[in-house]
Amino acid sequence: MNASETIQQRARHQRLDADRLLTAACVGLPLLGLILFFAYPMIIVFLRSITVGDSYGIGNYVEVLGSSGFWRATRHSLVMGGATTLVSVFLGFIIAHGLYRCAFRGKWLIRAIIVLPLLAPSLVQALGLIFLLGRNGVISRALGVEIEIYGFWGLLIANTLYALPQAVMIIGAALVLLDARTYEAADVMGASPWRQFRDLTLPSARFGILNAGFVCFIITITDFGNAAVIGGDYSVLATEIYSQVVGQRNFNMGAVVGIMLLLPTVIAYAIERQAMKRQQAGQTTGQVPYRPVFAPPRDLCMAALSLLICACIVAVIGIVVYASFVTLWPYNMSLSIKHYDITLAGGYSSLWMTILISLGAAVGGTIAVFLLGLGLRRLPHVLAQPVQILAAMPAAVPGMVLGLAYILTFNSTSTPLYLLYGTAALIGIVNFYHYHTQGFLTVMTGFRQLPPALEEAAGSLGAGLGRTACDIVAPFIAPMLVSVFFFLFMRSMVTLSAVVFLTTPQLSVAAVTIMRLDDAGLTSQAAAFSTCVMAVVCGAVLSMKVILAMMQRRRAE
Amino acid sequence: MKTWIQTATLSIAALGFAAPTLADALTVYTALEEEEIAAYVEAAQAAMPDTEINVLRLSTGKLGARLLAEAGNPQADVIWGWAVSAMMDPQILEMLEPYAAKGADVLPETFRAADGKWFAPIGYMGAFCVNTARLEEKGLTMPTSWADLEDPAFKGEVLMPDPNSSGTGYLHVNAVLQSMGEEAGWAQLEAVDPNMAQYTSSGSKPCKSARVGEYTVGISLAFTAMQSIEEGYPLAMVFPEGGVGYELEASGLMASANNPEAAKAFLDWTMSDEAIGLYQKYKALITVPGVDASAAAEAAGLPADISTVLADIDFVKAAEDQSAVKAEWKEKFGR
Repeated sequence: MNASETIQQRARHQRLDADRLLTAACVGLPLLGLILFFAYPMIIVFLRSITVGDSYGIGNYVEVLGSSGFWRATRHSLVMGGATTLVSVFLGFIIAHGLYRCAFRGKWLIRAIIVLPLLAPSLVQALGLIFLLGRNGVISRALGVEIEIYGFWGLLIANTLYALPQAVMIIGAALVLLDARTYEAADVMGASPWRQFRDLTLPSARFGILNAGFVCFIITITDFGNAAVIGGDYSVLATEIYSQVVGQRNFNMGAVVGIMLLLPTVIAYAIERQAMKRQQAGQTTGQVPYRPVFAPPRDLCMAALSLLICACIVAVIGIVVYASFVTLWPYNMSLSIKHYDITLAGGYSSLWMTILISLGAAVGGTIAVFLLGLGLRRLPHVLAQPVQILAAMPAAVPGMVLGLAYILTFNSTSTPLYLLYGTAALIGIVNFYHYHTQGFLTVMTGFRQLPPALEEAAGSLGAGLGRTACDIVAPFIAPMLVSVFFFLFMRSMVTLSAVVFLTTPQLSVAAVTIMRLDDAGLTSQAAAFSTCVMAVVCGAVLSMKVILAMMQRRRAE
Repeated sequence: MKTWIQTATLSIAALGFAAPTLADALTVYTALEEEEIAAYVEAAQAAMPDTEINVLRLSTGKLGARLLAEAGNPQADVIWGWAVSAMMDPQILEMLEPYAAKGADVLPETFRAADGKWFAPIGYMGAFCVNTARLEEKGLTMPTSWADLEDPAFKGEVLMPDPNSSGTGYLHVNAVLQSMGEEAGWAQLEAVDPNMAQYTSSGSKPCKSARVGEYTVGISLAFTAMQSIEEGYPLAMVFPEGGVGYELEASGLMASANNPEAAKAFLDWTMSDEAIGLYQKYKALITVPGVDASAAAEAAGLPADISTVLADIDFVKAAEDQSAVKAEWKEKFGR
């Protein structure tokens, strides 16, 4: 054995050790976050759910399982979850397919509109649907028939509006990275476009479709906001929790329902994983990005459908923006800016703080899910599986349960985590973990498309994990990271359900101001404030996009 | 990385966005209305210049959830103007310390706790919010009592809050049961049930839905009705014959108060002549004997003698019966 070989071997060993350490750090840090800020609070909720008097027992579960209201709400939640999932994934696929697999102009418009439901405060969506489709809404009045929106159909529309952008984000992550050469080969072999769609596009998008379905299902069964304003008497599990906790100050029973909500989620996730096993992972190296050519029947049809969906979104949000300038909707339609003179509930002061918090949540969150995705690829399956399930679970927890769990956990002086209570940091953290599932699954869907051979090649050329991550993986996965960043930023700006329990007299956020204005009966002012929030978010997103584009151009030069 | 976010956000916090409570700061949790809070706090702050008064406003139900979640390490020094039926929850009473605020002894016994844990110089009322435009369009007659709402013509036109989710819902159900008697009361609720379009989870929602013409009658709060009328909505506020439900807005001292002296001074202020003067401007319901609410009441279109429209409510009984009534209601009307 000569000297140079020994040195080489030693160097390789050192690199392997460093890589192992880096893998551990990649998984370890985000995992520590998940445990501290998700698993630990949920364990506290679980303990509350089995607290009966001064001891532990299953009495609360027996009581909940024995009530007819619970089973009715469960049935409603499952039916609603299933229906919303079908509709959102179907429509989401149409839009994502239009955006990434078809050639037509004006995609930027669809891209811009489809995210609007994410940056609209929940009040906007509710008001928009009622102003449009309510019994005294614009459409009812125009048709002269009273549409009965409250109940199943209204709730289905509201939930679909909210779930659709998330479905597009995740399915898009699967469609954006398909290899053009496969399609060229198919063309050469004479496969019809339909055959190509069925045998190439659909199978490769399956991981994204399943992930999107999973996300749509759980965000629907945990959503309270839509159910409360437009669900009418269609009681769902989230309204059950609200009734127990807020209506009857019965924490432990609320905790029981919160824990039960985790069950369908775990089952849905298990089914999804099972379905995934049959699919081959990864692709070949040297991909050529797919550049769709204009195919009139397909593209015109897709464009029309996408625009139609977008028109609905614009109508719902636009009518609220318009109504915020109306003197007295729907009785005095003259225009006025008086609703923008907001002095109560802290006025506009909360807006800037909310932007800081949201940027923090988005930056930290994007890095965390990227590291987690990167590390998980290198972990043995046995270890990776439980981490994946944990990382996909947070969306199964209704915001209200998460917010109250945070109070129970972080308002206890027994741990140093108490330092976080009442700070902006904790609000940023709860926002990130509330939306952890969506971010994680989007990045995982992206990683799925990453050819393993690419990483292997980098490895055999002597690049360590750090170098591979920065030079190979990050650029490849960048489009998903950008969409995760904007997703987290937009949701943090407007999400209410968890945050409402974590604000303090000195620290409020925009969503809470909107709620307080609406609570005070000043619905038009709440709409005006929401319009300002949406304008600020649009402005922030646009300027960040410009910065990104400039950075890309500089790099290209 | 995580530590990086934490450092960054904690330094933001350190910059004063989430300043830790000062020694001479007072934390007050309240469910009073925004407008009156602003006026009262301005006056109280002037009267107590050395104390920084920090107020957290949440709706009655959410405030309860927050207080209970924080029970292990309470953050509030004072609960101010919160529904007495919520205050009388044993889980909440446990957190309070008896304190005889200066001037609270003038209140009749029904408006303060025997053990001194709470006192209520003010309150709020329920009301029917009737959209006059829709009433006319549908050719309905103005309802003046619960019995009027039984008319099948009102089918699908009436909304009320679910007592299991909303304190306002219980306010109305309890008033019907106590003023008509158990049996007749349940019969009355059963008779209007077929006409109910929805039982909502929020107490003000029925009025907000009625004012934009989605439904004709919203069984809700007088405050929302008056505020909507002032904004110009075609709305009439109706107090049902036989008496409308009302709720006391109680205040109390948290046993765990970090700053008990300031907390006591603040509670004393809520019974001061200055405070009572402000109540006359904002409140239709004042329980301080000899204090006339007529100015505020008249401005809002209420009868000068408010007691003529109020149901006879026994708050102790209302608190005791709460769980049983809510359970029975759910059994009968849960949807």
